[in-house]
Amino acid sequence: MISQQSLLKRTWPMVVQCAEAHRKPRWVPVAKSKIYRIPKRPEVSEEERLELLRINNNYKTQMRAIRRFFHEEMIKEKSTKDSASSEMSLRLEAQEWERCVELNEKWNAQVALEREERRKQELIKMEEYALERMEAKDKELEERIKKASEQIRKQKEIAATFITPETLDAAIEHALANPVDYNFAIDLQGNQFLGRDTPIPQKNLDKKPPSV
Amino acid sequence: MSLPPASGTGRFFAKAAKSIRLIRQGCTNRPFFHISVTQRRRLNSQPVIEQLGSYDPMPNINNEKLVALNLERIKYWLGKGAHVSPPVAEILGLSGFFPIHPRTYMTAWRNRRTERENLAKQLEAEKSKEAAA
Repeated sequence: MISQQSLLKRTWPMVVQCAEAHRKPRWVPVAKSKIYRIPKRPEVSEEERLELLRINNNYKTQMRAIRRFFHEEMIKEKSTKDSASSEMSLRLEAQEWERCVELNEKWNAQVALEREERRKQELIKMEEYALERMEAKDKELEERIKKASEQIRKQKEIAATFITPETLDAAIEHALANPVDYNFAIDLQGNQFLGRDTPIPQKNLDKKPPSV
Repeated sequence: MSLPPASGTGRFFAKAAKSIRLIRQGCTNRPFFHISVTQRRRLNSQPVIEQLGSYDPMPNINNEKLVALNLERIKYWLGKGAHVSPPVAEILGLSGFFPIHPRTYMTAWRNRRTERENLAKQLEAEKSKEAAA
């Protein structure tokens, strides 16, 4: 058994031959019904055979030429690449490099200018935003203070009527002197009759409620 | 066995024979092929050296079979001496990169012949019908 480590650390590619899933295994013999079956050979007429031969020969010749052409082209390219390290090409390359650097610096300067402008605009915007927020905060605080002072004023006004220990006796006496009765009666018309002992007019009672 | 990646992880030796071939990537009842360069003695289920194109054999709504080819890299590998499998040679022939493959001619004239025969059969059947009537 091969360990996982040795599989992973292998330096040579793994070559695995596996039969296709739809094939039967190598050791299974020919089926009984197919033992004496001889497959029919494809029939190719003489004319067609000759034509195919001719075409194939042509094709092979052409392909050979094409292959040779690509091979030679590759060799040529390689040689031009090798000769690229000569002095002339070195100078040319240096010039090209300088040109590139110049262009790059130009672009960098332009971008720097744009960036500076953008930064300024952004700063202005940020300041505006901060000021706006500060103002809003101040406004809110003021409003809250206003609200609170209003409430305090109202409470102070009401405080005059509060019952204190000094005025407690007077308040009790006042309450005893003026009893309040919250009981009331209601009839079918929705009329209220305040008080427990309020006399109810008799004619209202005599009337029958309207049948609905 | 997992699918080989689309491009580029197969190990290869510089002097070993390479082959440009179709590698089936679709699923059941939906064939789709990558045109890849691999080592010639390697199975299609193994990682390839490089993908050079793709081929969709099922016609789309415009009745086209789409083929994509990276001709620059195909040239490079041909220069390196890679072999080309017959189906890929046919595709390259139809694309105009190679001369037309002989098998293309053969299938064409055989198709034409069967069509002619079918037409003749039809005509004969009609004639016999008329004669009977």
